[in-house]
Amino acid sequence: MAGLGSGTSPRLAGFVSLSLLVFVAVISASPDNVDGANETLRRPSGDSLEDSHHHPRNSTEHRKAFPVLAFNYEHVSKPFVISLWILLALLMKLGFHLIPRVSHVVPESCLLIFVGLLVGGVIKAMNQTPPVLDTKLFFLYLLPPIILDAGYFLPIRAFTENMGTILVFAVVGTLWNAFFIGGMMFAVCQIEAAQVGHVDLLSCLLFGSIISAVDPVAVLAVFEEIHINELLHILVFGESLLNDAVTVVLYHLFEEFAHEGTVTVGDALLGVVSFFVVSVGGIMVGVIFGILGAFTSRFTSHSRVIEPLFVFLYSYMAYLSAEVFHLSGIMSLIACGVIMRPYVEANISHKSYTTIKYFLKMWSSVSETLIFIFLGVSTVEGPHNWNWIFVIFTLILCLLSRVLGVVGLTFIINKFRIIKLTKKDQFIVAYGGLRGAIAFSLGFLLTDTEKKDMFLTAIITVIFFTVFVQGMTIRPLVELLAVKKKKESKASINEEIHTQFLDHLLTGIEDICGHYGHHHWKDKLNRFNKTYVKKWLIAGDRSTEPQLISFYNKMEMKEAMMLVESGSAAKLPSLASTASLQNAQQRAPPKQRAIPSISKTREQEIRKMLRANLQKTRQRLRSYSRHDLFSDPFEDNMSEIRFRKQRVQMERRVGRHTLIFKMETAVLLSLQSSEHKVYTYDESESPRDGAAPETSPDSVSLLSESSQRPGQSSRMKKRGDAEQGARAPDNQEEQQKLSRCFSDPGPKEEEEGEG
Amino acid sequence: MGSSSSSLSHIPDGQQLMGETGFSAAHLLRLHERFELLDKDSRGHLRPEDFEEIRELTENPVGGRIIGAFFPPEKETLDFPSFVRILAHFRPTGKNRSRDRTQPEPANSRTGKLKFAFKLYDQDRDGKISRDELLQVLRAMLGLQVTEEQLQSIAERAIQEADLNSDGAISFDEFKKSLEKVDIEHKMSIRFLK
Repeated sequence: MAGLGSGTSPRLAGFVSLSLLVFVAVISASPDNVDGANETLRRPSGDSLEDSHHHPRNSTEHRKAFPVLAFNYEHVSKPFVISLWILLALLMKLGFHLIPRVSHVVPESCLLIFVGLLVGGVIKAMNQTPPVLDTKLFFLYLLPPIILDAGYFLPIRAFTENMGTILVFAVVGTLWNAFFIGGMMFAVCQIEAAQVGHVDLLSCLLFGSIISAVDPVAVLAVFEEIHINELLHILVFGESLLNDAVTVVLYHLFEEFAHEGTVTVGDALLGVVSFFVVSVGGIMVGVIFGILGAFTSRFTSHSRVIEPLFVFLYSYMAYLSAEVFHLSGIMSLIACGVIMRPYVEANISHKSYTTIKYFLKMWSSVSETLIFIFLGVSTVEGPHNWNWIFVIFTLILCLLSRVLGVVGLTFIINKFRIIKLTKKDQFIVAYGGLRGAIAFSLGFLLTDTEKKDMFLTAIITVIFFTVFVQGMTIRPLVELLAVKKKKESKASINEEIHTQFLDHLLTGIEDICGHYGHHHWKDKLNRFNKTYVKKWLIAGDRSTEPQLISFYNKMEMKEAMMLVESGSAAKLPSLASTASLQNAQQRAPPKQRAIPSISKTREQEIRKMLRANLQKTRQRLRSYSRHDLFSDPFEDNMSEIRFRKQRVQMERRVGRHTLIFKMETAVLLSLQSSEHKVYTYDESESPRDGAAPETSPDSVSLLSESSQRPGQSSRMKKRGDAEQGARAPDNQEEQQKLSRCFSDPGPKEEEEGEG
Repeated sequence: MGSSSSSLSHIPDGQQLMGETGFSAAHLLRLHERFELLDKDSRGHLRPEDFEEIRELTENPVGGRIIGAFFPPEKETLDFPSFVRILAHFRPTGKNRSRDRTQPEPANSRTGKLKFAFKLYDQDRDGKISRDELLQVLRAMLGLQVTEEQLQSIAERAIQEADLNSDGAISFDEFKKSLEKVDIEHKMSIRFLK
């Protein structure tokens, strides 16, 4: 699988992985049938050590030679098979990206279903029973990671701004879909030629409710690849998440009554009540677990390693608890993630944050892959009952109802929206109503076998149509219609400052107008959050940190890490890259490119010293405190990087190539002083005499500029010892903060009690 | 909602205001009611003290600036047309009807809204947001919870990011550019005024 884009190796790799997948599928299928035979085989043989454990009498019956090597597959068959499935599904995913042309045109979900079809076909050809997308497996294991990933990283601002629209689409839209499809299908079933007259209204409505819901997994899979603008993305995606409550209620309602045969008004009313209970109850369960999770994370400063687990487990518990009461598990999971996130992120270390992010992405990726492959396999498996009229009409009605629903609802919604939804937006929203595995699993849950097969066939056809046809064509359509794409924006401190300013401004204007609008309530919520909630759920003094500061810190940290990584990654390029940057900026003639008269050895020495000191400072990591970040450069690695960066930027404008040396000089100066040595660098190590005198005042002024914290003794470090004494008492608490930030559980920082 | 022209007669120059600001008669009436509510002594005009009576406004970090925007330095009183003209900035932006270049930029267009926000930053009205002005805003928003150093760094960084012509201050165009990704039409609109 080391294909690097050459023509033959990806195909070869693809072929190899495909055959491996088939192989494992066969293996997985076979033990189901052969288990019985194995049982009988096992007893008389008694060869393996395992058997001697299970059947002790065998070992006494006859003495055999000690088995050096034994083959016992059944012992590990289940985990072995599961792991192989997952492994090969992921290998397939890898394989797709090695074939460039295909992965551009066809979305991954289609390819995976296709693979599943192939595998299912192969298994069927060998007369084995392939594993089916078991409903329990799907709802309990495969779906939660995807939903949690979506919920945890939900863009809150966009979501709440469009909440009204999303809710209308989710609730009213899904209801409309369900009843329209159900009703029309019933009418269709009355057609003599279809021979489906036995399907009654309630069953049709049940079918309608199953197939009407937009599926979050499919939407995510397709929309992630087309990078559409945030508004449309959040509309379709939010709808797919929130319609779960409606689906759950309708499904249970109709399933109950499909057996009864009739529905009274009282039942319908109970259904409405049930809807509110399901959705609000689900959200409340999620909120409770979210708060618990946030509260727990407040105390994890000493056990950083298990922090991510709390996030995952509380969320999963929220989901399962909601499912116990037949509440909406998806909404519970989303609510838990949304509530938990701001507080947890304030409490946990950076590494834990990264861990959570990548684990969630990883699990959701695996789940998605497995879901689509199993969908393909289950399709082949059947059982099917293909009825032309039923299927075709289902398909047509699904599309029709979606379009009508979206257009009609948008007409009403636009009266209340500030930014109206254009026709293009409506088209994308309608087109993005993909059905997926949830519909399939719900269909699978049906108990009535007679209609179940027919329903399943229709459901699978609709899923295939939406995923293949709509999934494949949505990208060219987006291009064709010139729909606004997602703007890749770097985090900008300006945006954050101005956005907050505008928030305050709008709140003020709303107060003047006496209008209790969006901003007013948001402001109230923020105040409540700041005064009460944060105190309880966030550890230490971060609870009083304003949002702007956290944002700024995060940004600085990110940039600092990027700079460290790019700077220390290679030896020379750290010099050459800044040089080339300058050159690109200035388009200076090549004469400035030549590294000025400094001997190679000198350069190496400087660089070695620099690296050694940077390393040491990083390891020491003492006296780091978020509040000292900007005032105490002598102790802070990140601040060094920031200075370097700032100097580099400033020098881009001024264009003096020599300043790199000044910069490194400055860095080294400060580093050296942090070790409380006297300035020696200045005189002995400066690369050129000309540069030296300029360097020190510059660097001194730069460093002293930002270290003007009145309360603390962060003056220039000529008085190193005085500094040392003053800083000692700060160290203890700063180490705590330090360890939280850098999450190095190592004891090093406590031991190095230099200052 | 009796929005006939007879009730509009309470409001001086009602029709003209409607044309100028784009508010409907119903909105103007509502705003007039609010104006009269704020004008406790029924003087017919407002003074800064009337605004300071609004409790939430005093808690608002930029409350002082907002009041300052309503009362330019020379004037101590605010009459209804001026009140409405300022609030017109927050009307939701309509569809881009083609208007001729000669007409002045409507108050509730994106540029109009941004200009209003810019004026709130730029207290000395020199057309630029200097570092000090930015620092003042940050201080007001972040209060006593942060150190001076942090404020300085944030302000420095903000100016570095936005300042394209390197004059150490943010001009209106640079301000506009730094907010190009933000949906100003949505953000700076109040639905009430629709």
